[in-house]
Amino acid sequence: MSAVIEVKNLSHYYQKGTPLQVTALKDINLTINQGEILGIIGHTGSGKSTLISHFNGLLKPSEGTVLVDGEDIHKDKETLRNSRFKVGLCFQYPEYQLFEETVYKDIAFGPKNMKLSDDEIKERVLRAAEHTGVSIDMLDKSPFDLSGGEKRRVAIAGVMAMEPEVLVFDEPAAGLDPAGRKKLIDLIKDYHRSTGCTVIVVSHSMEDIARLSDRLIVMNNAGIAMDGTIQDVFSRADELTEMGLDVPEITKIFAEIKKRGFDVPPDVYSVDRAVDVIRSLTEGRAGL
Amino acid sequence: MISDITFGQYYPSKSVLHKADPRMKLLLTFVTIIFLFVCKNFLSLAVMAFITVLAVAVSGVPLKTILKSIRPVLIILVFTAALNIFYTKGGEVYYEIWKIQITEKGVNTAIFTIIRIVILVVLSSLLTYTTTPTDLTTGLERLLSPLNVLHIKVHTLAMMMTLALRFIPTLVEEIERIMNAQKARGADLETGSLVQRAKALIPIFVPLMVSSFRRAYELAFAMTCRCYTGGEGRTRMKQMKLSVRDFVLLFICLTACAGVIVLNIFFEAVI
Repeated sequence: MSAVIEVKNLSHYYQKGTPLQVTALKDINLTINQGEILGIIGHTGSGKSTLISHFNGLLKPSEGTVLVDGEDIHKDKETLRNSRFKVGLCFQYPEYQLFEETVYKDIAFGPKNMKLSDDEIKERVLRAAEHTGVSIDMLDKSPFDLSGGEKRRVAIAGVMAMEPEVLVFDEPAAGLDPAGRKKLIDLIKDYHRSTGCTVIVVSHSMEDIARLSDRLIVMNNAGIAMDGTIQDVFSRADELTEMGLDVPEITKIFAEIKKRGFDVPPDVYSVDRAVDVIRSLTEGRAGL
Repeated sequence: MISDITFGQYYPSKSVLHKADPRMKLLLTFVTIIFLFVCKNFLSLAVMAFITVLAVAVSGVPLKTILKSIRPVLIILVFTAALNIFYTKGGEVYYEIWKIQITEKGVNTAIFTIIRIVILVVLSSLLTYTTTPTDLTTGLERLLSPLNVLHIKVHTLAMMMTLALRFIPTLVEEIERIMNAQKARGADLETGSLVQRAKALIPIFVPLMVSSFRRAYELAFAMTCRCYTGGEGRTRMKQMKLSVRDFVLLFICLTACAGVIVLNIFFEAVI
């Protein structure tokens, strides 16, 4: 696997040199591989958003470097600008960035900034609309006439239309109802499956992350506390609780079941897996 | 950058000036500023300078913070000083080159003006450093309440001012968020001709407008839900009351003003 983004000894301080200096990131080393879905979790203020804002150069590292495709993104202006298109960043509540007269024009804003031809722009807009489930007749409407969920999908399409190598979502499902959440998570999964590009998802929700990613990073105190597969991380439930984080409800239930003397694996983090485990348990009993 | 806005900044402390009645503070600041322009010689100006130094000393606001408020007017200071030195003629000539004369009167006027502007800025920023925006507008509302007779809605104006001040930091945060989102979509805000740059602001201002209107509606809703119907019959939880402290401040200030008048009469005018 080759690396898309490499972060080396990255530190970031807010209000550097003043008495109000805050260390947002401290000596971060991280390699993100081509084609993986990476989840980043951490409590509020642990540095998640600061970290992802370094991936496309919105923030400049106080110390250390960020390499995209092996190139330092702050090498020159051109590289910095290209990093914006290579790494698409979709912020929290992206629907508040909509501004154009029509949905089509808004989705086309990113590709237009890339100075692509009109035909290419049109193709990309249509592709992004399809990925996000934005229907063709919606494209001519004003983005301000849409519902909240539709606006969110249009805004995500606006980032997808740049067809970045890496797509970063900051709390993509924030403020949505359970059905909307599931729909959005599935949308991201489908997008990843069909394009094969790298996806990074920042979230508070362990359930969402567990449904999405293969690899998980836990941030705590401006640093990376854990880095591993979902199973690795969730098996360290006690440490997570200490950091003010939580494991999925179903995992907690299974930890409790284990305490009561049943032999269940510690890595149950989704309802589907729970069903399998319980089934095999009851079948085992029936056999006795 | 935009987060450096210091307008209406409040410096929390528990000094006499912080505790004083905002109405009295507004009134005294107004009176001292008027007397700043009544001063005719350096002695009377020294009286004003003295009470300014006194006020700064008891305010509990660090000198560094006070000096920061002078920084924005530095250019104006240099400019007025230069104009006064070169264009005011009279008295002994100190220096002469070609048609430019530097005279005693010019130098005096320049120094006088600089001190006057510095005192003016320090006093007015001291007012905002020691008074919260809410107190300030409430004080203003009460002081201007006689205007209600003229059917000027003083309460509405004061409420608008409070809300405007309250939303400055919120809007700054919002602008930064939207700018980042559009930059992430490749918006170029830093380069290009003036027209291009103006055009580049559209993706920032449209969402800002939309969210400001949304916020305004939400706020109006929230205020209505809490039974806000305007100023009439509205009482306050924190009643403003004049205390001995306020009268002491008034006394000091009036003594200084009287001193200015006396010194003006008995000593020769410089300006």
